[in-house]
Amino acid sequence: MASMVNLTINDKEVQAPEGMTILEAAKREGIFIPTLCHHEALEPEGTCRLCIVEISGAIRHSIRISCIQQVKEGLIVETDTERIKKNRRLILELLLGRSPYSKELLDLASKCGVMTSRFLTGESDDCVRCGRCVRVCRDKIGVQALCWVNRGYERKITTDFERLSEYCIGCGACAQVCPTGAIKIEDRGNERKIYTWGQVLARFKLEKCKECGRPYAPKKYLDRINERAYKTKGLELVNYVCPECVKKAERPTPVKMPFGGGDMPFAI
Amino acid sequence: MDVAAIDAIVSKFPEIKGNLIGILHEVQNHFHYLPEEELRYLSKKTDIPITQIYSIVNFYNRFSLKPKGKNEICVCLGTACHVKGAEKVMNALEENLHIQKGQSTEDMNFSLEEVRCIGACSLAPAVVINEETYGLVTPNKIPLLLSKHKDG
Ligand code: SF4
Ligand code: FES
Ligand code: FES
Repeated sequence: MASMVNLTINDKEVQAPEGMTILEAAKREGIFIPTLCHHEALEPEGTCRLCIVEISGAIRHSIRISCIQQVKEGLIVETDTERIKKNRRLILELLLGRSPYSKELLDLASKCGVMTSRFLTGESDDCVRCGRCVRVCRDKIGVQALCWVNRGYERKITTDFERLSEYCIGCGACAQVCPTGAIKIEDRGNERKIYTWGQVLARFKLEKCKECGRPYAPKKYLDRINERAYKTKGLELVNYVCPECVKKAERPTPVKMPFGGGDMPFAI
Repeated sequence: MDVAAIDAIVSKFPEIKGNLIGILHEVQNHFHYLPEEELRYLSKKTDIPITQIYSIVNFYNRFSLKPKGKNEICVCLGTACHVKGAEKVMNALEENLHIQKGQSTEDMNFSLEEVRCIGACSLAPAVVINEETYGLVTPNKIPLLLSKHKDG
């Protein structure tokens, strides 16, 4: 077991294992720190800056992002000082500048006392540039169908050459981890579409469930499961059955379905 | 698609992953831009995901996904050059070449770009054509400058 370190968070003395982030340590103590780009299943990237905290003691007095900064012996953490609140409000205003209608962002903003933004741009694409979609696709699914392009204000997520992706397997993990719903997945009839505010990223024909006949998953996705979850164990997915039918049959779920079936795709 | 050109460029690099930007520079120099088909081939050949290549290509101004002219003209619009009238130089170039910045001439002889501070502020306003830097450029020197590079 990792050795424990002692620190204080909002005047409370806490213990946390070495290597843990401040955010995790605070959460364990029931202390709320707003976050956007952080996702438990992904490596932190620190893009949104919402999770800032004020630290002193073991580290020079400064503002750090708690989703990356690790705990340290003797660290003094403050999550809600005037300085933090002020900076956090500014960050929220900046984020709202581009995504003024994002429900999730508005909820966070009102929690932090932000009513309007001084930085409205006239655009409203809901994407907060958190990079969760890019990270999940690259680091967890191992496909890397999404990428960042351009810089600064023009920065956005897209596919290679902004065309329909050849590499996307249609798992929908991006839509699932997106904090604001800027990436969407939609099944209609026997077609699946993954799209953002300005671009259709990928389209798929859905394979039919062998039991109920309902179109439920793209072939590429099923092939991927076969390749990664089954073949490595010397098995092969032969019964193409949708999650609902699997549940009905009260058999143990062979594979957790990220979309249309509930669980996260990280089991793949 | 020019597979041989990509093969030749890649074979010059002993190590691929750490040299992607270097490789892309050579591809850019060879074709005067980065053609999609060739980049896709490069991705397959090197096992570097095309999305990663596309991201890098988009990040740096030096790389272009649109064909560029044989002679690349870069007008510095950095602070010093701006103050010294770079805008007028740019306008004169646009007029002379009958194109807007960011475009190439129909005969693909010239392309016109803006850049930010090339570190020649003392010579402001500065213009770079291919590898050569010209300082203290004025609008009336433009025709002469262009004729120097016309067939080069
Ligand atoms: S689309 Fe969603 S997950 Fe991707 S960067 Fe934008 S907000 Fe984040
Ligand atoms: S949650 Fe820490 S920077 Fe976004
Ligand atoms: S501003 Fe043009 S060279 Fe520095």
